[in-house]
Amino acid sequence: MTQRNAHLWHASEDLVARYAAGVLPEPDAWSLEKHVEGCAGCASRVSAAVRGTAAGAVLAQVRAAVLESAPAPVARTAPAPVVAGAPEAAGAAGWPAPSRIARLLWAAGPAVRGAWLPAVLGVAVAALALAYGAGFPGARALLLAVAPVVPVAGVALSYGPHADPLYEVTAATPGGGLRLALTRTVAVLAVSLPLLTLTGLLLPASGAPAAAAWLLPGLALALASLALASFVGCRAAAGVTGGGWLCAVLAPAAVAPDGAATARLAEQLARCLDGAAAQGVWASAAVLSAALLTARRPAYDRPLRP
Amino acid sequence: MSSLRVTGLRVRHRKTLALDSLDLALGTGVHGLLGPNGAGKTSLIRVLATVARPDAGRVELLGEDTAAHRGLAGVRRRLGYLPQDFGYYPGFTVREFVAYVAWLKEMPAADVPAAVERAVARVGLADRIDAKVRTLSGGMVRRVGIAQAIVNDPAVLLLDEPTAGLDPEQRVEFRGLLRELGATATVVVSTHLVEDVAAACTEVTLLDAGRIAYRGTPQALSLLGETSGGPGDHPIERGYTAALRAHRAPGAREAV
Repeated sequence: MTQRNAHLWHASEDLVARYAAGVLPEPDAWSLEKHVEGCAGCASRVSAAVRGTAAGAVLAQVRAAVLESAPAPVARTAPAPVVAGAPEAAGAAGWPAPSRIARLLWAAGPAVRGAWLPAVLGVAVAALALAYGAGFPGARALLLAVAPVVPVAGVALSYGPHADPLYEVTAATPGGGLRLALTRTVAVLAVSLPLLTLTGLLLPASGAPAAAAWLLPGLALALASLALASFVGCRAAAGVTGGGWLCAVLAPAAVAPDGAATARLAEQLARCLDGAAAQGVWASAAVLSAALLTARRPAYDRPLRP
Repeated sequence: MSSLRVTGLRVRHRKTLALDSLDLALGTGVHGLLGPNGAGKTSLIRVLATVARPDAGRVELLGEDTAAHRGLAGVRRRLGYLPQDFGYYPGFTVREFVAYVAWLKEMPAADVPAAVERAVARVGLADRIDAKVRTLSGGMVRRVGIAQAIVNDPAVLLLDEPTAGLDPEQRVEFRGLLRELGATATVVVSTHLVEDVAAACTEVTLLDAGRIAYRGTPQALSLLGETSGGPGDHPIERGYTAALRAHRAPGAREAV
């Protein structure tokens, strides 16, 4: 009945003005309130009129407070006339902005949500604890040796049938191939590159290369893992690239006599990371991996090996 | 015009031959896919969904060869797929889950919110749209799966056991939705429930041991049950067993 009556009449300017001023007799006010529940046109005129009164400022304050404290879906279901004045709270299509960000974060990948993130934080905290808690001089060298493996592990934990519960659905969609793998790799890099580099800056150098020296190797190894994954799957690829790096930098330290292990590690890292020549090699490795990945793009059309 | 054409399809699954030189052409309508466990229903649906790669043969969807990289994305944008088993991110609400799949299907961002609400309403979950998926019952999760499959109004819709876990009333509603979808799209439904086929399908394909054992309308399959007197409680069940037996009888292979 209300639905049907809602469009038989519309509130006059005089009625709206008297309602806003609070001088409308009660039955007329009820009638108008019932009407605006079903009539968006009158509702927005009434809300504009009320905003123009002394109550408007209070309403605006309440609204701001509610929007600030409420989770996204509540903001979405707030009455239309109130939301109408605030396009910044909703996207162009009325989609709440916080929810879109949440969705992107979820899309960013299981690694960033799961056990990987605490592991990255753990590496950073452990390095700081070693340096300042235990007074271990080789903390930065150790961090630089481990850091390039962190994004590689994140990639392996982010994409593929073993990592993603939605994989079967994803595999039949146009965006579920390389696009999703790259989105998740970017998320993993966006977390690990700044975090571990900043941690490195906080550690005493004691002969190890600069804190940012691992950035190019980290990128190159992540891209190489993605390219290799198109042949052997994400987990095996990460094992090869991450394991290969660890063997290369840790082997000399492992065979060194007891006291010299950290010095050997720093030496080996300097060989791998220091200087324009070494960094140039890593840059070209990154470019080559990207080129190989581009060429192998069709392999991401179908599920990779587990 | 067939929107879905399969020729000489061969698929291996764990070293056994799941599908063997299968030829099939399907157009607009609801196509029931019946057959005993291990007949190759899921293997066929996964190949049609462009998830599994065939070992031999050609799969054409909407006029495109799915073996080629070019054109595959275009086909996938118009595809809906409900797998037999699918997981979900536990923190997602129904709305976020369906919107996430819409994003993966590369739908225009402006269309997504309305399309999500429509798809969720079509499976009867409008009142639970902001509930977390993990709080829903098995039948409801199944319906969320159907909603993500139809969110892009697919031209080809592949549903693997969509009625598993639905109660009788929900199944009746779902059959109505199937008939509605089948008016404009090519819908392939694999099921164990022959009543679903009798009620909602325009055509039946019966698979056995990786080959097609029978193709026809549900009415023809029921009629076969009436005349041949196979075991079963429902005419179409009798038709199902009669067609399987006829296919398995020695010498029948060549005839099919």
